[in-house]
Amino acid sequence: MNLIAADKLADLAAALAAAGYRVVAPVRDEEGAVHLKVWSAGDAIDTATIPANSAKEFLFPPSEVIGRYALDGRDFTPQEVRADPPRTVLLAVRPCDVAGLAILDAVFNWDYRDALYNARREATTIVALVCPASDAECFCTSVGGAPDSTRGADLVLQSADGGRRFVFSPVTEKGAAILKAAGSTLAEGEARLDPPASVPERFDAAAVAEWLGANFESPLWQEWGLACLGCGACTHVCPTCHCFDLQDEATRREAVRLRNWDSCALALFTAHAGGHNPRPTQTERWRQRVMHKFRYFPERFGIFACTGCGRCGRLCPAAVTMGEACRQIAEAASLLRRSSRSGCEGRKADTP
Amino acid sequence: MTEPERQLAKPSAAFEPRLVAFVCTWCTYAGADLAGTSRFSYAPNVRIIRFPCTGRIDPLLVLKAFEGGADGVLVSGCHPGDCHYTSGNYHARRRWAIVRRLLEFTGIDSRRLYFSWVSAAEGRKFADLINEITAKVRAAGPFEPANPARRRPWT
Amino acid sequence: MDLNQALRTDAAALLSDGRARLVIGYRAGGAGDDAARRTPFFITDPARCDALVYDASCRQNLASYLRKPEVRARSLVAVVAPPPVMRSLVLLAAEAQVTDSLVVVLAVGEGVYHGVLDIAQTAALLREKYADLAIPAEVVREIERIAAMTAEERAAFWTAEFARCTRCYACRAACPLCYCTRCIVEKNVPQWISMAAAGHGNYAWNVIRAFHLAGRCTLCGACEAACPQGIPIMLLNGLAAEEAARAFDARPGYDPAEKPVIGSFKPDDKADFIK
Repeated sequence: MNLIAADKLADLAAALAAAGYRVVAPVRDEEGAVHLKVWSAGDAIDTATIPANSAKEFLFPPSEVIGRYALDGRDFTPQEVRADPPRTVLLAVRPCDVAGLAILDAVFNWDYRDALYNARREATTIVALVCPASDAECFCTSVGGAPDSTRGADLVLQSADGGRRFVFSPVTEKGAAILKAAGSTLAEGEARLDPPASVPERFDAAAVAEWLGANFESPLWQEWGLACLGCGACTHVCPTCHCFDLQDEATRREAVRLRNWDSCALALFTAHAGGHNPRPTQTERWRQRVMHKFRYFPERFGIFACTGCGRCGRLCPAAVTMGEACRQIAEAASLLRRSSRSGCEGRKADTP
Repeated sequence: MTEPERQLAKPSAAFEPRLVAFVCTWCTYAGADLAGTSRFSYAPNVRIIRFPCTGRIDPLLVLKAFEGGADGVLVSGCHPGDCHYTSGNYHARRRWAIVRRLLEFTGIDSRRLYFSWVSAAEGRKFADLINEITAKVRAAGPFEPANPARRRPWT
Repeated sequence: MDLNQALRTDAAALLSDGRARLVIGYRAGGAGDDAARRTPFFITDPARCDALVYDASCRQNLASYLRKPEVRARSLVAVVAPPPVMRSLVLLAAEAQVTDSLVVVLAVGEGVYHGVLDIAQTAALLREKYADLAIPAEVVREIERIAAMTAEERAAFWTAEFARCTRCYACRAACPLCYCTRCIVEKNVPQWISMAAAGHGNYAWNVIRAFHLAGRCTLCGACEAACPQGIPIMLLNGLAAEEAARAFDARPGYDPAEKPVIGSFKPDDKADFIK
């Protein structure tokens, strides 16, 4: 087994950085908050706390230049936008984050193969951390994931010997290359793997998808719509949300076309130039969010566009989250099933 | 020679500050005009942008100037009580008090951002003011790379 | 009767006799059944009022919901309002955004229930019992620490903080005073503020939002709590609030007839920095 002491992860990060990789790791700041960020010497790596943000920003940045033009009076000359991403290691990202990449891979290689995303993807090696602990917001096991899933990972990092050490196990050839770069920060040896966190199943996702197909007009949407403030925070931290806005910005001499993160929770998302908005209130916008993740996306790609990471739940001040929505929908679905079996009229679930 | 003229006569250093002045038509712009017709010399570093009134000068314009690479910005208008539109400069005065503190707190300090009242009759004052500001910004040096509002090349 | 009991009784009564069609308050729990958590709670059925809770853990500023057309359509709306929310409501009234025909206040304080009030009564209560709501001490200390840095150090500090901003606009959504139907940042003809999550746009967005709140912000903290990246937005709002108080005696949220600080003036306003 390849082993490293639990408090020596920073040494590993330093070795990888010295080998020319951009290392992304969960870093704890002075206030104790943990965010995934580009690691630099002195940063404290924290594998105990689920980071507030997701790894998607390192493959799909919040703003990206996708077109570039030299301007000369009224003439313009398109210029090359080359995808030249740095070799990157995502160190100690959760399986739910890794699972999110499957959704991004599908969308960015669907009707159009996005060269910029694919270049970053190709240049990225993923070291998945087996979750040592979960919290009440996690629901990966309800959407086909698991705290110890290695799907999509190039290497797996698992806690051992009561949290004193980590075991590094390569899964792919890309992962094996990282082991070489890690060099002497890893040692050969034996250790007893610690059990992964357990995440109880919180709802039946298939029942949710089925309910969604038949309840477009449910009053549940209105209740969530009232509470949702329509900020983009859940979208931005979600590992699978991928909608973007194209904006051109110019000075007299050059122009760029930018791809910026957008959010379907924002009122402007579907606003038409003529003033009409087909999703005029938060009710319609929230409904779309849930439908997209649990109905429309699976219909096209066969996977839920939600990995149960729970970031939306940790963040939302109004507790309007995917996990909670699905839980209530599943409850509503099961009530309907039970009542239809007994022949009574179904009672629509209320907010708790 | 006055002190500002002495400053102007110094051999120019390698760095020449780029200044932007947002001014009102009826007072400061007219004052700048008077400086010109009176043949008062003032530093050529400033680009004067003319508005009907300081009341129309949005703080975002000041940010735009720094975004584009200005080393220093002046905002100038009519003395209180003399606004051509009666109260535009009173509104501006309130805005400037807040904007100045916010910009200073975030790294754009009083070496870079100036406010003044210059009337249509104060050609001398305008010339002296521009010379003084140019000298001060020259002494403060280029605002790169410290300028927090600067638009950087897109990567 | 204790605070929660009184609150629940009055809220249920308002709904039952039609004096309110919607109650916005707080409840315990939320996602994950975390009993310590407090989340906004929307009630139309009087029987649900039993789940209303108010205590020191209730932080979300419920006045933010009054910007939403689907909430406004339900007037009258009863809002459970601790002092920061009360101030937001009084300020919204001063800015002609809420009236007594839209909102009724279920006023609460620390361990005390103040009753069902209209806007004028709420303002009177604030002046009588909550007149000394100051900028939080830790905000003042941090502002002083940063103000003592050199300009270059301040620029570096804020550039690093703003670099984390992804322009999610949660700060705007959480704020009761950001109610523009089309925000300045959503206008690109002309493009005032870059929409990209890059240095110059992030600087302009955060600074201009603080400027738009000058003399209005009551420092409820909803913006900073909502920020997924932990950017210290309260420092900017606190600084603008300090200056508005110092220069213009601004005390937002205590008088429903107050004039907007930046939208009004006095001929003898002091401004010693103007040459």
